[in-house]
Amino acid sequence: MSHTPTVKSFADEVKALPGGEHLELCYSCGTCVSKCMIQQKIEPEYNPRRLLRMVMMNMQEEAFEDPTTWLCSACDLCYASCPQKIHISRVINAAKAIAVNHGKKTLINTAMVNQQTCVACGLCAEACPYNAISLVQTKVPYRGIIQIAQVDPGLCMACGLCSAVCRSTSIGIPEKFTDESIIENLWDWMLPQGARN
Amino acid sequence: MVDAARQPLIDVRTFTEVEKVEGFVGNFKVTLREKAKHVLADRCNGCGDCARVCPVEVPNYFEMDLAPRKAAYIPMSQSVPLIYTIDLDTCIHCYKCVEACGPLEAIDFSQEDKLVEEDIGAIVVATGFGHFDPSVMSEYGYGRFPNVITSMEMERLNNSAGPTSGNLIRPSDHKNPRKLAFINCVGSRDKRYNPSCSNFCCMYSIKNAVLLKQMNPDVDITIYYIDIRTPSKGYEEFYDRAREMGIHFSQGRPSLITEDPETHNLYVHSEDVGLGQVTEKEYDMIMLNQAAIPQPDQNHMSSVLNVAQSPGGWFMEYHPKLRPMDSPTDGIFFAGACQGPKDIPSSVAQGSAAASRASRILHSEEWEIEPTVAVVWPERCSAITKGRACGLCVKACPYGAVRLEGDKAAEIITAKCHGCGGCVAECPEDAITQLHYTDAQILAQMRALLADKPEEKVLAFRCHWCSYGGADLAGTSHFEYTANERGLRVMCSARMDTDFIYEAYRLGAGAVLYSGCHPQDCHYITGQVIGAKRADRLKKIFDRMEMSEGRFRVEWISAAEGDKYARVLNEMQAVLDNMSPEELKEEIEKLKPDMEKRLKNFPGVPGVPEAIDYSNKLAKAITDQKEVS
Repeated sequence: MSHTPTVKSFADEVKALPGGEHLELCYSCGTCVSKCMIQQKIEPEYNPRRLLRMVMMNMQEEAFEDPTTWLCSACDLCYASCPQKIHISRVINAAKAIAVNHGKKTLINTAMVNQQTCVACGLCAEACPYNAISLVQTKVPYRGIIQIAQVDPGLCMACGLCSAVCRSTSIGIPEKFTDESIIENLWDWMLPQGARN
Repeated sequence: MVDAARQPLIDVRTFTEVEKVEGFVGNFKVTLREKAKHVLADRCNGCGDCARVCPVEVPNYFEMDLAPRKAAYIPMSQSVPLIYTIDLDTCIHCYKCVEACGPLEAIDFSQEDKLVEEDIGAIVVATGFGHFDPSVMSEYGYGRFPNVITSMEMERLNNSAGPTSGNLIRPSDHKNPRKLAFINCVGSRDKRYNPSCSNFCCMYSIKNAVLLKQMNPDVDITIYYIDIRTPSKGYEEFYDRAREMGIHFSQGRPSLITEDPETHNLYVHSEDVGLGQVTEKEYDMIMLNQAAIPQPDQNHMSSVLNVAQSPGGWFMEYHPKLRPMDSPTDGIFFAGACQGPKDIPSSVAQGSAAASRASRILHSEEWEIEPTVAVVWPERCSAITKGRACGLCVKACPYGAVRLEGDKAAEIITAKCHGCGGCVAECPEDAITQLHYTDAQILAQMRALLADKPEEKVLAFRCHWCSYGGADLAGTSHFEYTANERGLRVMCSARMDTDFIYEAYRLGAGAVLYSGCHPQDCHYITGQVIGAKRADRLKKIFDRMEMSEGRFRVEWISAAEGDKYARVLNEMQAVLDNMSPEELKEEIEKLKPDMEKRLKNFPGVPGVPEAIDYSNKLAKAITDQKEVS
């Protein structure tokens, strides 16, 4: 008599990844949700408890569509307060890794490398807290096949550390958080009204 | 308590601690420390003049430190006997009380603690539970925010005999609160503090909410909970009543309490699970239902009484279902929350049951115990043969039943022995045997089980209480496992002697399973621990002998894990299947001389040669019969 299921469910896949093993312990108390800064400051629809529930109930497509899968920055405020000691950010990351494997695109603007100026010094790869950056041999227009930094969009959380350490300003977060827009913001914020002109 | 003290056959000793418990069922010798009250019980009439003049004021423990008491005080209004006590830790020795007492002369500062020894037949332990201190959970602000209090503190504030005469006020401004919240599971169901459920807090918070609502229907009360658990008779109906009264129930564990520093009002941050939305609500006062935890001195009591503790620290019962009020030590019983958190009806039920169990002992001239006790052959003990006792039996006994004095051979106090067989298996001289589980009897069984094609067999040593039950469950649940399994039952994994395992391999067994209870389920307090240590030792020895992985396996299987038993046996069969017969035979033969060397003293054990002789004849008779047919 064999009890091993032949096809792995979504929940089993998540549980097989590191950090996912305690998933089923969640009793839906909601502590993580009311602790979460992303829920409070960025995305009201963000809800780790609901995502864990979706994973448990094998709601794969819904989990891939949920912003919770993509926005977690692994600050682990919820981990410290979870009464069941579930490493929630790692469960979310496991779900995200599976989503990326299914070809889903992340909802956030991940770091981008300027292929023309990157010198592959490796500082960004060292600094990245999510291990999202690696140095890869790539064919770059006008430069031939050279080694440059490459960002894994499935892992990058757009924290911007890479951009801060890069000495050739070759890596950055596009749109809202480029170096230019941050400096612009700073000027607006520090100088008295009208002084800039 | 007052009622009990009036009964002529009940002797209530308050302010008294148990120092030492010796002896055994029906014959305990208990040493009690009667603490000095510094007041003579036969002279004090409880008038209270001493307390009135006492200038010292300290927090009153009984009032949850919400009110003061004097250094001369009565602990609580139902105290037995109702006389004053002088607390020397806070007394400033002004002796005003002596003056006030006057001609009664009831105060005696020279009084000291008294040690009294009593003959006791049976002991009922009812030491209750302690409270989790919520101040370690910084998110709830207990101790920082004046209006966050515990439910126990609220009980005192709401009690007509309490410090406010039953007027519920909030500590910050002494106003009556209008919006109140209870938070359940503070420190319980929380793996960071106490993983278990405290059992009664759901009903307790509902009761408190209903009481407050009855007194003042205008107050707004919310109970924050993870799950509401109302499993007993009438409890769900009570919960319904609370809902109908307008008490709000909010599913979701609060993650944070913040305070308005001006008004000292509080904000509870939680996700309302029903809504799926994070809410932040304002309250005047918040009551925390803190977890029930073992008494702070539970460990000390456990060593005084020699009763084991369950993983959470509560006293461990003999059997969770069949004997929940008995301790593993005969003659000691549990009542109430010292054995695990429980509410009043369950505590009363358990207390009555414990009392009737105890009275069985008190009304018996003789007491029957299990016959599987250990017996010493004094002439084999190293105390006699070598002049120095090794003492391993004393270390192995979970019950303190082995006595070793001077140069005399070890002696088993039969009334204390429960028959785990730990001492029997540990004794390096084979000087102890266990009735009904002698080495010879077990050896004869092993030889019978391994008489035919031993290399195909998986010999499974199972303990009586758990892994044997697991095997049984595997059978009754129709979990299929290998037909080559041969089970052998002993009382505890502590009895699984290294000699048996060596003998099994010497006889050519294919594989051997060493199984018993999980450590927290052991029916012999720490019997499994003794067995597990030995199993680890054996594992290392077999590794060094280069025995194939999986031919010796150690597994802890409970009576509920029939599936695990079947799985382990099938995995062991797979190990044998993966080896070719020649390979297996070669390994068995290679290891035999080593096993024989380790067993060289085994035939010297009384009864073993006869058992070998008998089983040889039996085996021969079986083969002869086979040849004939």
